[in-house]
Amino acid sequence: MKLVGDFYAYLWPGVNMQEMMKFGNNCNSYVVANALPGNKHVLVDPGQVVNETRQRCLDRLILEIKKDNLKIEDVGLIINTHAHPDHYGASETIRKISGCQVAIGKEENEFLKLAGGEMAKALKSMGFEMPEINPDLYLSEGELRLSQNLVAKIFLIPGHSDGHIGIYWPKEKVFMGGDLVFHGSTGRVDIPGGSAELLKMSIEQIAKLDIEYLCTGHQYGSPGIIKGKEQIKQNFEIIRRSIFPYL
Amino acid sequence: MKSALDIALEKASKLGKMSVEEMRETREKELAEVGEALAARYQKGLPIRDVELELAKYKEDKQRIVPYLLDGLWERIDLGNPQEVDKILSAIEHFTGNSSVAEEIRSLATEYQNDVEKTLGENRNSLEDGKRKDLKRKGISGSAVIPMIESSPEWLQLREGVNSRYRKRLEELKSSLKAL
Repeated sequence: MKLVGDFYAYLWPGVNMQEMMKFGNNCNSYVVANALPGNKHVLVDPGQVVNETRQRCLDRLILEIKKDNLKIEDVGLIINTHAHPDHYGASETIRKISGCQVAIGKEENEFLKLAGGEMAKALKSMGFEMPEINPDLYLSEGELRLSQNLVAKIFLIPGHSDGHIGIYWPKEKVFMGGDLVFHGSTGRVDIPGGSAELLKMSIEQIAKLDIEYLCTGHQYGSPGIIKGKEQIKQNFEIIRRSIFPYL
Repeated sequence: MKSALDIALEKASKLGKMSVEEMRETREKELAEVGEALAARYQKGLPIRDVELELAKYKEDKQRIVPYLLDGLWERIDLGNPQEVDKILSAIEHFTGNSSVAEEIRSLATEYQNDVEKTLGENRNSLEDGKRKDLKRKGISGSAVIPMIESSPEWLQLREGVNSRYRKRLEELKSSLKAL
């Protein structure tokens, strides 16, 4: 689904309880088309290959992007907002298809080595293997320059996980925040690498940005994308008022 | 299509036709598979007491399985993974009752790690430059980009050079272990 300009959004079903139960967990994915030489695309958060309800998440993503005349073979860079399997899981599979580069926040790699081990055990007890990821580059706070004069600002936004990053596209006023905030809610902080205090600080940092499209990591029964400055401002206000006291 | 019963009967009839030597070889192969499987399960997290419990099920064959288990453990020693080395050496010490070779391997693993870090340190700048240029060619640059050199082919080649220097020494220690 076209968002704005060359930006596309692929929202994992789950705008009501029935869909959420049927489709299980996976993240929303975003594509910035033709951002790299040779008309290669940037894919933010590819999601999983197969999830806990055995939904073939990657197959679905491939079909969805095809509807927009985009091909998974043309992905040149995957940016993972954080090292949770429901976001980065398909990275290595897509690399095998397209030969793309894979990026993640530097601190997330440490997470994968330490807390990731615990997460791997938890996943294994549910019959899942922790997906592999071998980043080609890390992203830290600063500027990410792509060809076609496209510039993104990378923000380190810990809280949901220690090295969580957000990607802000100032020209298009698009923010891709992974599991920082959702519609009327925030990412969990009760898992390894989580911190309520850091999450609040990260949210306040991002709330200052000029954003028209707030692209969240999950729908969780609400719209996955919050559109318009006023709506976004209200969403941050609701979170401050209703969620912060319970974090 | 053959039923499970047909297949089992077929196997049993073959067993009847085996010579004593063939039967011994078949049994040895089975025990080798048990040893290898236990090594794999230990590496994946099976506690050592559970490995012992599994071995105990084989009663008089237990001592015949242990050398295969040790072989399987040995094959899993990766000097590049110190935590795993330590875990595997604990099991080797447990089943051989000897810590001298394990200590030598621990010291070799430390030496290897230091060598890897030294090689990486000496080549870090040129490796980073190379990776940065490669990323730029692919349209990716900027202050946020930190090239990950540990997965670059150039670093993997340098590391293989270090590995080859230690492979021979590791094999020598393995022979010492077998001689115990």
